[in-house]
Amino acid sequence: MPDRSPGSDPGLLLLISLSGGPKHGHAMLLDVASFAGVRLGPGTLYGALSRLEEDGLVEALPPEGRRRPYRLTDSGLAAVRGRLTGLSAAVSVGLARVGNR
Amino acid sequence: MKPMRPILRLYPSAWRRRYGEELADLLDELPDDRGTTLDLLRGALTLHVRALIDRLAPRLVSAGGPPMPTHPLQRHPTATALVAALLVAPTAMFVLVSFLAYQLELPGWAAAVAPFMDGLGQAPRMVDLFLLAAPLLAFLIAALPLVGLRLERVDGELRITLALRARVLNLIVLALCVLVGGFLASHLLVEFLFEAPR
Repeated sequence: MPDRSPGSDPGLLLLISLSGGPKHGHAMLLDVASFAGVRLGPGTLYGALSRLEEDGLVEALPPEGRRRPYRLTDSGLAAVRGRLTGLSAAVSVGLARVGNR
Repeated sequence: MKPMRPILRLYPSAWRRRYGEELADLLDELPDDRGTTLDLLRGALTLHVRALIDRLAPRLVSAGGPPMPTHPLQRHPTATALVAALLVAPTAMFVLVSFLAYQLELPGWAAAVAPFMDGLGQAPRMVDLFLLAAPLLAFLIAALPLVGLRLERVDGELRITLALRARVLNLIVLALCVLVGGFLASHLLVEFLFEAPR
């Protein structure tokens, strides 16, 4: 069965990571690994990041030395809140059903 | 410089101008391993496919309006042909050496290439897979700048226009891919059908 967990959605993982504050690429990789146990590759990270920026969900901040941090936009914050609320409802129902068996 | 950095050249040029430097800096902080290399290759492929879809999708639902930007691959057919040629080169060498040694049976060739062939026989399966897949992949890469597919709705009906353009270098690489891929495929088929399992 294909993996449809949040861990298989790099965009969502990055939105969750950036909801904790602005981060540059490497910090996002470390953060995602720490809270989701998922090791994103650099191609996956920047592919997802460019799509999020294109969709207006994240924006780049001025570079800090060689690194460029990113932060959530208001649309990004609304998007991650909506996605997580939807997932949370599904998780609650799922856990309740699994617990009843 | 990290050995993985040249892979960044496979990324779409517009994307590379915006994110290339950041991605290169990130590579400096990551270990050189196969997983990272494969992820970079997959990232490049995904972005090219995404760009192609982004370019074609609006044409499915609308007609008129401003012309869509040309895909970077179509703006750089020569560079694309060279990438395809590099990709198919190892398989072409393998096919040429095999042909000279085992088909034409040139004196001394079989003995000369035996160590190389033995080494190849013991190489990881990924090497075999690459040799097999390279002509097909190179064909697609070399052909992409030559094919323009336009989908538009005119007077309520969907119109598909296929435009082909001829670029000598790309056509030469395409012919090489067909030749190499065809030889390899026929060789494998004959081996599969007529040679007893070891």
